Amino acid sequence: MNRIVPEPISRQPWSLFVPLLLLVLFGAAVLHSAAGGSMTPYASSHLVRFGVFVLVALALSFMTRRFVRLVAYPAYVAVLLLLVVVEAMGAIGGGSQRWINIGPLVLQPSELMKAAIVVVLARFFETLPVGMVNTWRALVPPLVMIGLPVMLVLTQPDLGTALAILFGGGLVMFFAGLPLRWFVGAGAAGALVVPLAFFFLLQDYQQRRITTLFDPGADPLGAGYHITQSKIAIGSGGWFGKGFGNGTQSHLNYLPEPHTDFVFATMAEEWGLAGGLFVLLMYLLILRWGFAVALSSEDRLGRLIAAGAVATIFFYIAVNLLMVMGFAPVVGIPLPFLSHGGSALLTVMICIGLLLMVHRWNTRVSPRGLS
Amino acid sequence: MNALTLDRALGSGRVQLVNIRRESLARARQRLLLVAAFFMFVAFVALVRLVFVGADAGAATGTPLAQALLPARGEITDRNGVPLARAFPAYSLWFNPDAMGEGQSPLVDTPVRVAARLHAIFPDLDEERLRAQLAAGRAGYLRRRILPEDANRVHDLGEIALETPREMDRHYPQGTLAAHVLGYVGADGHGRLGMEQVLDARLRDPARRATPVPLSIDMRVQGALEDELERGMKLVAAQGAAGIVLDVDTGEVLALASMPEFNPNRLDAVGAQLMFNRVTNQVYELGSTFKPLTIAAAIDAGVVRDFGARWDATPVRVGRFTINDSHPLGSTLNIPQMLMHSSNTVTARVADELGPARLRQTMIDLGMNQRPAIELPARGYPIWPGDNWPRLQNMTIGFGHGVAVTPLHLASAYAAMVNGGIWRPATMHKLAPGEVPQGRRVFKESTSSRMRQLLRMTSRFGTGRNADAPGYRVGGKTGSAEKPGAGGYQRSAIVSTFAAAFPMDRPRYVVIAMLDEPRGTVASSYQRTAAWNAAPIVGRLVPRIGPILGVRPDETRDVDISDLVPLVPEAQR
Repeated sequence: MNRIVPEPISRQPWSLFVPLLLLVLFGAAVLHSAAGGSMTPYASSHLVRFGVFVLVALALSFMTRRFVRLVAYPAYVAVLLLLVVVEAMGAIGGGSQRWINIGPLVLQPSELMKAAIVVVLARFFETLPVGMVNTWRALVPPLVMIGLPVMLVLTQPDLGTALAILFGGGLVMFFAGLPLRWFVGAGAAGALVVPLAFFFLLQDYQQRRITTLFDPGADPLGAGYHITQSKIAIGSGGWFGKGFGNGTQSHLNYLPEPHTDFVFATMAEEWGLAGGLFVLLMYLLILRWGFAVALSSEDRLGRLIAAGAVATIFFYIAVNLLMVMGFAPVVGIPLPFLSHGGSALLTVMICIGLLLMVHRWNTRVSPRGLS
Repeated sequence: MNALTLDRALGSGRVQLVNIRRESLARARQRLLLVAAFFMFVAFVALVRLVFVGADAGAATGTPLAQALLPARGEITDRNGVPLARAFPAYSLWFNPDAMGEGQSPLVDTPVRVAARLHAIFPDLDEERLRAQLAAGRAGYLRRRILPEDANRVHDLGEIALETPREMDRHYPQGTLAAHVLGYVGADGHGRLGMEQVLDARLRDPARRATPVPLSIDMRVQGALEDELERGMKLVAAQGAAGIVLDVDTGEVLALASMPEFNPNRLDAVGAQLMFNRVTNQVYELGSTFKPLTIAAAIDAGVVRDFGARWDATPVRVGRFTINDSHPLGSTLNIPQMLMHSSNTVTARVADELGPARLRQTMIDLGMNQRPAIELPARGYPIWPGDNWPRLQNMTIGFGHGVAVTPLHLASAYAAMVNGGIWRPATMHKLAPGEVPQGRRVFKESTSSRMRQLLRMTSRFGTGRNADAPGYRVGGKTGSAEKPGAGGYQRSAIVSTFAAAFPMDRPRYVVIAMLDEPRGTVASSYQRTAAWNAAPIVGRLVPRIGPILGVRPDETRDVDISDLVPLVPEAQR
């Protein structure tokens, strides 16, 4: 090993930090442009938040296995209670509410739940004897643990977050080694239920959101407006974009939410295909590192936490990108590290913190094992 | 776990557990890779999509500017590019009771109050009817056209059901000018009546509608013609009037008017009754204006050779009919005198000598047996006497009775008579120099030059004196024919026409002015004949349009009539 760089620095996971930092700085540049060439209100707060949340992530990474095992269930219950409180406050206030004000802090418990569900399920499957993964004991408690918060979030109503919790939890169950046929069965049931739900449960406007997906040109000024404008923005960027600060779709307010949900379109208009490829590459590097952490983890708890955290980050990226490119219905899911918005960034950074924690466990274990 | 425990547990159930654990570890690894592969697949899809959308730049950039500026319907201009008809975006006020969702109450406020507010914006709307329509929830126009600022005020009412859709209007910036030439555009977006109907496909074609279509009309000439026709019509309280200015060498119609006109910008029941085009659709017996044609045919055939020869001018008796002149003109007349005084008897004798076959052939050559040759859709079919003309009919046709044609027929025939003898179809399109049709020869060149002299004589010394604008060398012939009615000709209703061309030394334009049922008024010295009402219209019109069309007044130039003047005693005075 080369000794020019001191060991305490070189052993840090730079293959995570470098892409992460580049992505956040790039995001700040895009937000700078989206605000009409100004650091306020988006870019500066984006950077400040990232700075704070990095500290949170680093703090999380110092948690030990023992501590995690201790707090997994209480933390889950606490977040669940917070969800109930939010629900109650909404009911009293007469309207839907998703957040709790704690002094200057605005806390959105449903975001915390995305991380909490991963940790608590990992903890559950760690304690579950491996021989029992194909019994009902491996199925029913996790389903209850996932179902409770999903129901609460759905009543807010926040379909995007509910799906994220479902996705994260479901993937942890998948990694835990539950029989494949259960997932296949669930998938088949879903394939059966979704069309029925589409025709009998969804309201007219919700149906339109989905039909728009297949034919956004049918109503380009109405239901198809977001997708059409977003595709115009991405398409008009061409190979190398219109140049920094020259995006017309975002600056002339054609693009809805140019700084949050549709930040990728804002970016692609000004930086073109090259910018889009750069962002995709950075995400790939971050996710690859996350998978590497999960794969190199020797114990069940660490591997499940890491895999769940990667899945949650991936869910954000995938759904947002597919939505912006016109492949998924418009649900308000921001793009990690690029979009302006505190709650989503906090969730993703908690996941990064969990990954760093598992990474630390992995690297600590092997030296100790040798000694 | 270590080797020691493993050894100790050999053969026991613990081995199975270890196997299961190992198996589950392998399975977890395998599933992790599976999910990673799925992630890679999604990333790949996103990548492909990104390249696809990014490389497809321009396809989704919306309406290009050129198309945004493309009018919904092409423009029509006059020959100099002055717009005559253009596309004009306008707002209308539409009530859409389903705008708030079906089954919902269509209005936020009560119909009574909404009607009151609309009434405040549009005071001319009937508030009662508004209220009834709003309350009934019937979809429909509340008002067909509203101003943009009123559209804003309607929008400010905040009623979603009150919609102000943009509609494409056809606007005729010159108002009633050339209304019969242009026609109008119906509610279905298709042209009606005039060139709007003729050019409908061309004006709607997205590939061609960007370039305006120039007509042969000259807006300034058209304006002068309509002005003088209207003035002349009102002076003698005529029912209607018609007029044409035609280029004798190309057949281009420079002005064409049928009075009274309708307003294509405002189509109503009154306007609908006025849409009939007297120039191309109504056939008249045009009377004495036919005499020069008969004489030209006779000169061409060699029947008339000597202009000093005297013709019997006493009444002509054929069977039980007698052909008279309007007043006795003496016992004999020569041909120039006959035209100057418009003698029926001499014309009848010339026609008789010419014979029906040759007169008929000349009329056919001049297109009198067909609808007028022009693009306009409304073209009247002449009342044509058929193949066998009895002797009497041949005589009456010689002075313009027994055959009814449109004023446009007459204009084209006069053009052929003075331009050197070539008949060409009239056209509403502006012709480039190479596009002028070859036409067909009807008269000899020599006949044509004789006719120029004779027509000039008529307007200088005969019935056309009121049309002789100084310096413009006008030549022409009057015509006053009684209109046929139930049971013979009506003495009270006549059609008076003046058919002229100018300048006679080198004719450029034919001008026809026609009045339908003029009365004897102070202005016409209580006369009803064309010399007193139609001829003055041409006399006032030519000085107005001559300079515009490049014909300068010149007292020193004229067609040479010095060989004919000594034959006419009236001309020596």
